[in-house]
Amino acid sequence: MRLIPKSGGKILLFLLVSFGTAMSVLAQDSLRVDSMLLSNRSGLENILQGSVAGLRIKSWSGTTGAQATLNLRGLSLDPTDQSTMPLILINGVPMVASPSHITGINPLTYFPPEQIERIEVIKDIDRLAAYGVQAPNGAINFIMKEGNSGSIHVRANVYAGTNFLQNMDYKRDAFYNFNTTARRDVYGDGGIVHDQTLIVDGAGSYGSYLFGLSNHQDKGIIKSSGFGRQSLFLNAKYNITDRFTAHFYNNMSIANRKGRYAGEYSRDLTLPVVGDEGYYMDKNRNLGLLSSMGLAYVVGSGVTIRSVASLSYEGSSRDMYIPSNLLDGNIYASSAAYKRQLITWNTSANWLHEFADALQMDMTLGGELRNTDDRLTSVNGQRSMENGGSDFVKVVTGYNANQVIALSNHNVEKLLSFYGTWKFKYKKDLDVNLVARADGSSLYDKKWALYPALGIHYDLKNSLNIPVKINAGIGKTGVLNRPEVYRGQLDAYGDYYGGNYLGIGQLYPTFGGAKSIDVTQVDAGITVALGSAINLSVDYFSKTYSNFLYQRYQSNISGIDYKYETGGQLGLSGIEVALDGAWIRSTHFTWSSNLNIAFYRNKVKSLPGDIGNTSLAYLATVSGAPVTSLVAREGSQAKRIGNSEPKVFGGFTNTLRYRNISAAFTINYAWGADVLAESFNSRYDAERINYQFPIKSAETPYYLVDQGTDGRTIYQGIRTIEDGSFVRLSRAAVSYHFNSISKKVEALSDLEIFVRGDNLLTLSRYSGINPEENITGSRRYNLMYTGTPLPTSVALGIKVVF
Amino acid sequence: MTHWMKHWKFISLIAIVLLFSCRKNLTVEQENSTVEEGYYNSAPRIQQAVIGGYVDLRRALFANYAWLMYGEARTGDVKVAVAYQQQVANQQLTSTVANLVQLSDWGYFYDVIKDANDVLDIVDNAADGVLSSYQYNLYRGEALALKSMAYFYLARIWGPVSSAETSNFGVHLTREEVVNQAIQYATEAQQLVPWILLNDDGIKSAALTAVRFNKTAVTSLLVQEQLWLGNGQNAYDALTNTFTNISTDSLSGFSLAIGEDRRTEIPLAPLSASILTMPLATFNTIYPDGDARRSSMFNISGNNATLIVKDASMVELLTEREIDLLFAEAAWRSQHLDEAKEWLISAASGATEDYSTLTEETFGDALLLERQRMLVGTGQRMFDLIRFSEVSTHIPAFTEADVAKGAAYWPLSAKSMAGNGWAQNEFWK
Repeated sequence: MRLIPKSGGKILLFLLVSFGTAMSVLAQDSLRVDSMLLSNRSGLENILQGSVAGLRIKSWSGTTGAQATLNLRGLSLDPTDQSTMPLILINGVPMVASPSHITGINPLTYFPPEQIERIEVIKDIDRLAAYGVQAPNGAINFIMKEGNSGSIHVRANVYAGTNFLQNMDYKRDAFYNFNTTARRDVYGDGGIVHDQTLIVDGAGSYGSYLFGLSNHQDKGIIKSSGFGRQSLFLNAKYNITDRFTAHFYNNMSIANRKGRYAGEYSRDLTLPVVGDEGYYMDKNRNLGLLSSMGLAYVVGSGVTIRSVASLSYEGSSRDMYIPSNLLDGNIYASSAAYKRQLITWNTSANWLHEFADALQMDMTLGGELRNTDDRLTSVNGQRSMENGGSDFVKVVTGYNANQVIALSNHNVEKLLSFYGTWKFKYKKDLDVNLVARADGSSLYDKKWALYPALGIHYDLKNSLNIPVKINAGIGKTGVLNRPEVYRGQLDAYGDYYGGNYLGIGQLYPTFGGAKSIDVTQVDAGITVALGSAINLSVDYFSKTYSNFLYQRYQSNISGIDYKYETGGQLGLSGIEVALDGAWIRSTHFTWSSNLNIAFYRNKVKSLPGDIGNTSLAYLATVSGAPVTSLVAREGSQAKRIGNSEPKVFGGFTNTLRYRNISAAFTINYAWGADVLAESFNSRYDAERINYQFPIKSAETPYYLVDQGTDGRTIYQGIRTIEDGSFVRLSRAAVSYHFNSISKKVEALSDLEIFVRGDNLLTLSRYSGINPEENITGSRRYNLMYTGTPLPTSVALGIKVVF
Repeated sequence: MTHWMKHWKFISLIAIVLLFSCRKNLTVEQENSTVEEGYYNSAPRIQQAVIGGYVDLRRALFANYAWLMYGEARTGDVKVAVAYQQQVANQQLTSTVANLVQLSDWGYFYDVIKDANDVLDIVDNAADGVLSSYQYNLYRGEALALKSMAYFYLARIWGPVSSAETSNFGVHLTREEVVNQAIQYATEAQQLVPWILLNDDGIKSAALTAVRFNKTAVTSLLVQEQLWLGNGQNAYDALTNTFTNISTDSLSGFSLAIGEDRRTEIPLAPLSASILTMPLATFNTIYPDGDARRSSMFNISGNNATLIVKDASMVELLTEREIDLLFAEAAWRSQHLDEAKEWLISAASGATEDYSTLTEETFGDALLLERQRMLVGTGQRMFDLIRFSEVSTHIPAFTEADVAKGAAYWPLSAKSMAGNGWAQNEFWK
């Protein structure tokens, strides 16, 4: 992998920012995908793991098609939700990128890495503020390849390999205790992974074209399960006139995942009896579509007008059936569909102006419309087999409404934004970036919020002849607070008089003061070029998140349970260090490397008054401490017993080439994260044990207080608190280029074979299989946020370019 | 470009106008939630808010069989077929059992008061022509009656409680102040609600009247409240002024209809066939041999007498049969003993006793007994004992001193005390 130096990235970007790009925001880090170490697993996040300082990709699950969690300087109150995910852009337009709860299929699998030109990682505030409330936690922009000049080029990339678990000790599997005898039947080595991608492209005076298709199949290590994805894509530019250009991008994917009952999820169901799962069904299917159309018109005098409309859609559906031999005599069936769509339309005018030779300005003024429309429909039912029937009748015929639950939910959100960016360049030394964005959201009564930012970049090389660049920035972004509460809500209380009348009343009153969470960010950095071979950059940032929306519980004479308020403050700060070295650059041998380290800490800076009477009461123990603290009770006291976030994390990549042979490997690591595991056995009705814990000598003194389904208090014992530090050989590849053949065959420009491995070795003292297997850092007794073992995969591939 | 700069004021103005016009575009009607603004634009929708009050009253009185626990189970005469009833009968009201913790929480009654106050606002703010005068009076009257009943229950269960009115929200009221407030609401409601309600087709409906507040029921409520404060003459006046030349067809009690509570689990059929029983010995004491009500009101089998549930679709709270008893009590309390005896004799049809010989001194005990016999299952007994100052006589666990300290009232849950400035009463401390 080669990290383009920041200066190079800026210049390159300045030249390359395409007409399709919705906003010409410069990236902090820009990665060329062709020179990156790719992954056998699908999901674009996997190729970024360990590659960028501060970007943490947590491989929590080995289930095929699952998304690793992405965090780029992100923090939220709730570690389980997706609000820390960075904004994902494709050619500058936003997409529906988080997996739906219905199928869990990762939308980042829709795009084969072979169609991506480069990846821009945007962290600094003077670039982020231009995205306003869309990008409080950074942004990652995937820029797709365009056709190369020439009438036609064909590129084919094929690989096939296998998944396996190294030294699998079943007792270390988080799921082991659920069914100790069945675990061996669930996992199996040898699940095939294979991938084929074909891309055709060309370019001429008319513009350029690129189209392709891709198939990816991964059986993983869970038997009778697997993931598959097929994509068709097109990226075309057409020069209508010298001044008028159109750009079309389209990527359509279908993805499917077959699940297995014993071994993946639904720990709340009756214990699985792995007899015959032949009739068990869990079919997940997604349709993912991203389309954008951009028009650009060069007015003259440095003015260009652009307009980009885009549509990101995902339809997820899941059909599920559990036969009675798995559910203690009951059969269960469900069907759910979740359709998410995001429509954006971004129009801007760009003016490049030279005030003098030394002073240039690049100004963009624009407006953006963003409509989100999500609809969920599900039906599920369960019935016993008391009236006969077969274990394998895949129908639930509920004879009264209580046996069937039907749900439909529809959420619509609108965001209207106006923005301006001003980039002033003074000589080669000084860049000043000004950003102002106003976001109007349908979620609030007071619709508008302003997000300004200022960034200064100074290069000392020109004036002082020192190879040092410094930068500093300050500004604001925001996080949309959900749900919409400014108009209050009415609630159905119940039925009356033979069910003929419905009684309704207020659920909560209006809260006109609802607004976005303000994110104030300060950042500063220094980049030093040590000779021509080494580039060291150190970046500091500090973010403050203020005004979270929470419920204030009302006294019980109010006749209402809660009102909404905003308040509270979290802080996140960190130092990111990246060292890029091109150690050897001779004709036959090259060696370059990237080492990145991030030191992060977060803190609950302030909490609303009388916190015990709010929905944030659980934070009372972590006031002044990290919000990611693991908190448990010991005796009657709540106590912090760890932190789920690492103190340090990063990656180390080396790329070597000797004549025709290339080799690369990426190591990623995290240090200082604690992992808490709830006990499967120590779970008690608090009243029955007289509110005393522990009751067995083998139990730790720590427990959590849960609410049982019947409203009773449950004491959940904690089995272990462990160090989750690890070092992992995340990816490695060796490839051979047949230069001699490609020289002989004129049409052939490259022929390469490669061997690539994923997740090859993990060093950790963690007692489980994968130190990152828990999304929240806590392994719940029902394994709700815990992933399956992460397999190793090794594949052999071939790449041909005509 | 410089030409544009000259018009910056104009451009700013356009920008401001654009921003304001966005407001409408940025308002989204969500399909899965209902906002209050603009919702109450028709009579059926306003009626839903009124019904909300009944549903909350049902929650207050039916969750954990509250109306029986507050009103009857404590005396130990009747048994409700749930485990925690024994703790109630043993006066272990501060138990940590979830059912009893909920019973010591007054929140559900305040939910009713909020609903009622919301309805009063809604009907007053309804656009012209949305409500007919019948509907306006009915909904307003029902809201006032619901509020009055909720305060009256609060005062009878806990004694002094908080006000939840905008004018004096959170102020601690003495038990007299609470009931006076309730009387004020009931008095107004009594003028507003009709004898018989109209159904949605505009036809008089006895079935609907039975489960909503009507003039008979509100009058009963008002009279109960007056008698609670010892205002015999006011009670007598209210009865005699209201029930003049009224045919019995126009009379109706008030019951709460059974239905599904969407927010919390309450028994779907709180007064099911075998829920309320009496040990045979107690039953024989209360209803001696020869009393016609032994068989008309109870099924006797083995060592138990089980209350016959005539209509499981509703629970009677204010009954038609109580009117005569209220007349009797009001007459007695306002120095009309002879008239009182006539009312009692008329009410207690089927009794073996000769009530014509009652004196000023003996009338009270006879009336208390007949109220116990006739109103079993409606949750009045405990309140009668308090009203007649007979708690320590009938509940051996309590001395006069205990009652003076507040033993007859319920303890308050931690949730009810916290944030409302209350401390547990002397007895339950």
